[in-house]
Amino acid sequence: MTLAAPIAPVLAVLALLALPLVATNQFYLHLAITVLMWTLLGAAWNLLGGFAGQVSFGHAAFFGIGAYTTMILYLKLGLAPWYGMALGGLVGALAALPIGLICFRLRGPYFSLSTLAVAEIVRLVALNWEELTNGPVGLLITTLPPVGLPGRPLNWESKVPFYYLGAGLVVGAMVATDRLARSRLGAYLLAIREDEDAAESIGIDTVRAKVVTLALSAFFTGLGGGFYGVYFRYVDPDAVFPIALSVEMVFIAVVGGLATVGGPVIGAVFLVTLGELFRERFLVGHLIFYGLFMMLAIRYLPEGIWGGARRALAARR
Amino acid sequence: METFVQSVVSGVLTGSLYAMIGVGLTIVFGVMRIINLAHGEMVMLGMYGAFWGHVLWNVDPFVSVLLSVPLMFLGGMLVYRFLLRKIIPGGELNTLLYTAGLSLLIANLALFVWTGDYRTIKLRYALTPLRPFGIAVPIPLAIAFGLAILITAALYLFLSRTDVGRAIRATSQNPEAAALMGVNVDRIATVTFGLGTALAGAAGALLAPSLYLYPTVGEILIAKCFVIVVLGGLGSVMGAIAGGVLLGLVESLGAVYVSVAYKDTIGFVMFLLVLLLRPSGLFGVGKS
Repeated sequence: MTLAAPIAPVLAVLALLALPLVATNQFYLHLAITVLMWTLLGAAWNLLGGFAGQVSFGHAAFFGIGAYTTMILYLKLGLAPWYGMALGGLVGALAALPIGLICFRLRGPYFSLSTLAVAEIVRLVALNWEELTNGPVGLLITTLPPVGLPGRPLNWESKVPFYYLGAGLVVGAMVATDRLARSRLGAYLLAIREDEDAAESIGIDTVRAKVVTLALSAFFTGLGGGFYGVYFRYVDPDAVFPIALSVEMVFIAVVGGLATVGGPVIGAVFLVTLGELFRERFLVGHLIFYGLFMMLAIRYLPEGIWGGARRALAARR
Repeated sequence: METFVQSVVSGVLTGSLYAMIGVGLTIVFGVMRIINLAHGEMVMLGMYGAFWGHVLWNVDPFVSVLLSVPLMFLGGMLVYRFLLRKIIPGGELNTLLYTAGLSLLIANLALFVWTGDYRTIKLRYALTPLRPFGIAVPIPLAIAFGLAILITAALYLFLSRTDVGRAIRATSQNPEAAALMGVNVDRIATVTFGLGTALAGAAGALLAPSLYLYPTVGEILIAKCFVIVVLGGLGSVMGAIAGGVLLGLVESLGAVYVSVAYKDTIGFVMFLLVLLLRPSGLFGVGKS
């Protein structure tokens, strides 16, 4: 543990940087980018769901808000999408404040149901507010603005820049998770997860802790939405606001391992790869494995793959 | 005036079917404290049962209820016995996540087997709607309404008059006390889950001629179902019936007098308001 602790993250980042040099096949690169996006989303959901034990079924709202913010700022105001993505995260975090203040008045499964309702309301607004969102037709980016890096301009027709962009976001989310785990707020959240009344009685402002964490979680989810918009260059309400999207984030975090830094990575690599290979072969039904592994994880491996593996390793020492 | 009566009629007709789905969810919640996220998929399976019965063997969808109810009852009992029973002691959130997994598994297996195509059941006798007093009443919906009332009434009699029904209500009020009185709570839970599933399946079969069928239709139905049971108070059968009819009315009146685009939003906003302000339900009968 003494040596492995600093070396493991460095090796992981090096592997991440080297992957596009090895995987030149477009499909594998697309798969890697998809995995990165879902890692980001799983990690974002994990901040609230894993540490605070608050199961949100409405994170698609923040994803969609991030995606639409990025697209609308670029298409209507000409703001380059990389700034738009950051703003998308911020708008997602801002939206989380009122949503959190409403939904956190409820606990446990009632909180989960209320987030589902909020996300559906946001979806219906996006579907019907045609002046802003173009309604069911959606928004399309035809060309991305050039980026003048020293040397040569980035080639946006290639997938490689998106890979590195996604990798950067994932590393950011993992650093945030690690920081949260070591922070006072993280300790508050664990206390809330274990016993909310007890946490309150020792003086933790539970609503504040939860709302702040939701905003942080929404920020990364919004960044993920912006990334989706720029990568696919097209968003519509069915693509970025469906209930299924919220549910997939939950599944990746739970199957990978709640309240861990590595869990969402494992969850995304495992589930997204299975799902995309299935989709490539059979077109529909790619979430079969999500459902199956969720059930297996809850039954046999409540700490998720990462948590289970860590415990198994610790037991062997 | 005529528009008003027309929307009230169609609201009540659809609402009766919502009510049936809601009752299934609410009795399961009452006895086991499970919010079954896979309930919408049970409705979907009932719909597909009616569809395939109609296509393959030319069975009328309303007759297929006779077959789907016992099958879904059995299926529900098996799901409880072999899947859910071990999960429930792990807590409410675990069961919520588990049934979310089950929901996704069933919906995607259905997508895989039956594809995502939209399907419809066309009944020969349902081409022109009835027009009593100048109000259009679609025949399939009218039959479904009648059967939904029959089934709900039968369930009510079962719950209030039979020993098993009384045991279900007792367990719902207080599982420990019921167990002390000699009720086999585990057996009651199995029967209740079967009952909830059968109600969902029957509602699906009844709805099938009036809706488009596709494998992920459960997602929309379950969201409506939450609205219904929360409006009526989670765990309350009468509340779920009232909530179902209320949601049907809100949707049809909202579509006419507020906006077609936002008719579903009204239901969700009511849902949030009730959850926040009156968590025991609008009618004050449910347990908070």
